[in-house]
Amino acid sequence: MSMTQHAEPAVTSPPAPGPKEVDGRTVERPQVLRLLARPEVGVFLGAAAVYVFFLIAAPPVREGASMANILYGSSTIGIMALPVALLMIGGEFDLSAGVAVITSALTAAMLSYQLTMNVWVGVIAALVVSLAIGFLNGWLVVKTGLPSFLITLGSFLILQGVNLAVTKLVTGNVATDDISTMDGFSQAKKVFASSFDVGGVQVKITIVWWLVFAAIATWVLLRTKYGNWIFAVGGNKDSARAVGVPVAFTKISLFMLVGFGAWFIGMHQLFSFNTVQSGEGVGQELIFISAAVIGGCLLTGGAGSAIGPVFGAFMFGMVQQGIVYAGWNPDWFKAFLGVMLLGAVLINLWVQRTATRR
Amino acid sequence: MRRNHRAAVFTATVLVGTLFAAGCSSSSGGKKSTEDTSGASAGKATTPRMTVAMVTHAAPGDTFWDLVRKGAQAAAAKDNVKLVYSSDPSAGNQANLVQNAIDQKVDGIALTAAKPDAMKDVVAKAKSAGIPVVGFNSGVSDWKKLGMLEYFGQDENIAGQAFGQRLNKLGAKHALCVIQEQGQVALEARCAGLKKGFSGKTDILYVNGTDMPSVKSTITAKLTQDSSIDQVVTLGAPIALTAIQSLTDSGSKAKLATFDLSKDLVKAVQDGKIEFAVDQQPYLQGYLAVDALWLYKTNGNFSGGSTAPVLTGPAFIDKTNVDSVAKFAANGTR
Amino acid sequence: MTGKEANTHGAILQDTEPEDGDRPTVQLRNAGKAYGNIRALHGVDLAVRPGQVTCVLGDNGAGKSTLIKIISGLHQHTEGEFLVDGEPVHFTTPRQALDRGIATVYQDLAVVPLMPVWRNFFLGSEMTKGPWPFRRLDIEKMKKTADEELRNMGIVLDNLDQPIGTLSGGQRQCVAIARAVYFGARVLILDEPTAALGVKQSGVVLKYVAAARERGLGVIFITHNPHHAYMVGDHFSVLRLGTMELSAERSEITLEELTNHMAGGTELAALKHELSQVRGLDVDELPDARDLTAL
Repeated sequence: MSMTQHAEPAVTSPPAPGPKEVDGRTVERPQVLRLLARPEVGVFLGAAAVYVFFLIAAPPVREGASMANILYGSSTIGIMALPVALLMIGGEFDLSAGVAVITSALTAAMLSYQLTMNVWVGVIAALVVSLAIGFLNGWLVVKTGLPSFLITLGSFLILQGVNLAVTKLVTGNVATDDISTMDGFSQAKKVFASSFDVGGVQVKITIVWWLVFAAIATWVLLRTKYGNWIFAVGGNKDSARAVGVPVAFTKISLFMLVGFGAWFIGMHQLFSFNTVQSGEGVGQELIFISAAVIGGCLLTGGAGSAIGPVFGAFMFGMVQQGIVYAGWNPDWFKAFLGVMLLGAVLINLWVQRTATRR
Repeated sequence: MRRNHRAAVFTATVLVGTLFAAGCSSSSGGKKSTEDTSGASAGKATTPRMTVAMVTHAAPGDTFWDLVRKGAQAAAAKDNVKLVYSSDPSAGNQANLVQNAIDQKVDGIALTAAKPDAMKDVVAKAKSAGIPVVGFNSGVSDWKKLGMLEYFGQDENIAGQAFGQRLNKLGAKHALCVIQEQGQVALEARCAGLKKGFSGKTDILYVNGTDMPSVKSTITAKLTQDSSIDQVVTLGAPIALTAIQSLTDSGSKAKLATFDLSKDLVKAVQDGKIEFAVDQQPYLQGYLAVDALWLYKTNGNFSGGSTAPVLTGPAFIDKTNVDSVAKFAANGTR
Repeated sequence: MTGKEANTHGAILQDTEPEDGDRPTVQLRNAGKAYGNIRALHGVDLAVRPGQVTCVLGDNGAGKSTLIKIISGLHQHTEGEFLVDGEPVHFTTPRQALDRGIATVYQDLAVVPLMPVWRNFFLGSEMTKGPWPFRRLDIEKMKKTADEELRNMGIVLDNLDQPIGTLSGGQRQCVAIARAVYFGARVLILDEPTAALGVKQSGVVLKYVAAARERGLGVIFITHNPHHAYMVGDHFSVLRLGTMELSAERSEITLEELTNHMAGGTELAALKHELSQVRGLDVDELPDARDLTAL
């Protein structure tokens, strides 16, 4: 990029320096309102409200162990919500994210069991498969120009069928065999599904991974070229392409990132439960997408954050477990969950409206 | 630049993975350590080839229904029957599948009546078309009304009651009944039966059965919330195995018992992690349903005199008798 | 100006290269584009020289956008030649065009509305620092540079962090032009920059077009407004139904002639006739085709 020479404005028509169009739109809003307008702040307040509410309504929540349990539940949603959120900022959906988790776990479990190999072989093969699924989703979306909603609805159904059919074909059952006695299992379990002691409270390692991934995602999104491209391809694909952003690369890699997330959570499920049922995972994709949307990611792309979905997933986990901690009538469970989520989203929306009102 | 770099990393990963795979076999566990024992096999009937349609409300990929299907296949193989299996969890779609079987002019239909009203019309149609219909697994209180020939299954409510009485004997005071699919008739009936038969207090907990980590943390949460719970009751094998982890996580002293059986669950009973399991013998249900249609077609036999169901459960499996079923469970047929 | 003929139908530019300093940066020779069996563009000649504004006029569907897409690298031409610095090229991506110094500012998709001004300014050509896994955006430098460049173009914004979508249409165009100039564009393609703007805003944009020319850039100014074109243009080409109807230097054509060509004088006359058949419509006030050409 060469710096252009800045010749003195020529005589014919020099642009007059100075603000030309002060029309009220560029007037600074108060600092507080500007802060509130950030998408992650709204969800932070919503999550804080839900947290405080359950602190009061459900005494067991005040204990460290309960918090660790709530965070665990949130982390397994949150780790997937992160790439799903990045993809959403990049303007695309992945409806196959839920079953892709199971596909990954099944691949690892069956490969290492059937071939009697070290489980790490299965783990790496599963990573390759997950990334390949992501690539295929992304490639189809980029090449056909069809809405990713349709493409990934297709892959969602395909994976659902393949999960079941291949598992039955290979194992003769609909669940994989127990791999807990195989070589490398305890090692892999340490990475994906162990827990450690913090002041007498058992904390699951997925919580650590969740926060690490969130930190990396935030840094990438706000501080790197690639992050800039994610916003651009989601905000306006055509102008991004016109200024030289590699749109296809960005989108395909985002889908592959979702594949990576699916692999990680798939490995967590495999190494914490030893076996995988092929019918699981259906419906999870909507939970991931909800966490991202609650976290302030725009459904249409182009805006959002990586930290927002962290709070979104936390809110989801908090409500899910908080209702149980509060000991409410379980018949109403789903209804409570829905009301709380809707309430949280409305608070989020209200905060943003108030903050961005001119 | 960046792209090339990534491609290089990717290629390297694949290469390393391949190399890794070449010299990396597991010395313990895995398929090589299991013996290949074939399932039940018997001679084959010489009766004329007939077609039986089996239509269930199973969701795909469920271990329980897999056993039902295996039992049905075993009976079909023995009886020279062509088995057409189909399933759909939504009652309307299931009724359509039955209609489909009628249109195919099958020789007999075996179906589950999880939502009996939805099956009324199609069962009537099958009857007027001269196709015998047997019920199994679900619909124990409605099969007669619907005009089915016979019924094989477990009365979920009775099974739940028996379960509760067993818990009474074991001295439990406060049970938690974990339902993995809210509103599912059979599951709700089990917990209702448990409540009736159990003399202590019974709480119900709903969990999301398609997401194991959330099942785990929700049960943990409940056990922390109410420390007086001394008995966890799960309604499916995978949920029971996950509940074992919740018990550890929460530090609860509660005991665990469950409905349904699987290979891994048998191991947990052997290890004493699960007190007992109540089996309704899905393999038997599938087997009997197909076999009964064959008998009816070839010899006019039917059981229960159109009034009494044939109960396939509850069969209690605990430490005392678990070893006798372990072998079959390992084959994936029990 | 090498004094070419004003030719009303398919002007042919001379094949011999002009003397140094006046060689076109971008040149189309008899170029065309067909999508399947539909010919969107056919037999177009166009030359863009440094420090000149070449206006391309045409009604909707005349082939203006196809022309831009070819030059900016979004589409490829299927007939004729496309030369950059006298060298035939076939761009497959906009990036390649950008690398040759051809920047395009689109009317509606010049920017990503939700992104801050400074991010938009550097989009696709971000400044970074640090070694690879930790290579990150040099945000401070980017903000400072963006601010300087915008001030040089006479645009002063109090907050570069505001989403560019909150700027007025004219300001957005100006940011996009400043951006292209900064990134070393030698040829600037402006796609209907004044189409959606009010009178005052259009004036602002036209001023920056002139400023870009003064800096020695070649400008391709796409518009359907002959008045705007005539204010800044050095050369005028009119497209109609995918072919070039007129190609003329400023010295060879008046605003009225241009307006007439643009509006399609003969078509207007026909339209007037048709309208006169419609009951109650007074067409006497409308100008005649003759009036338009005569001036």
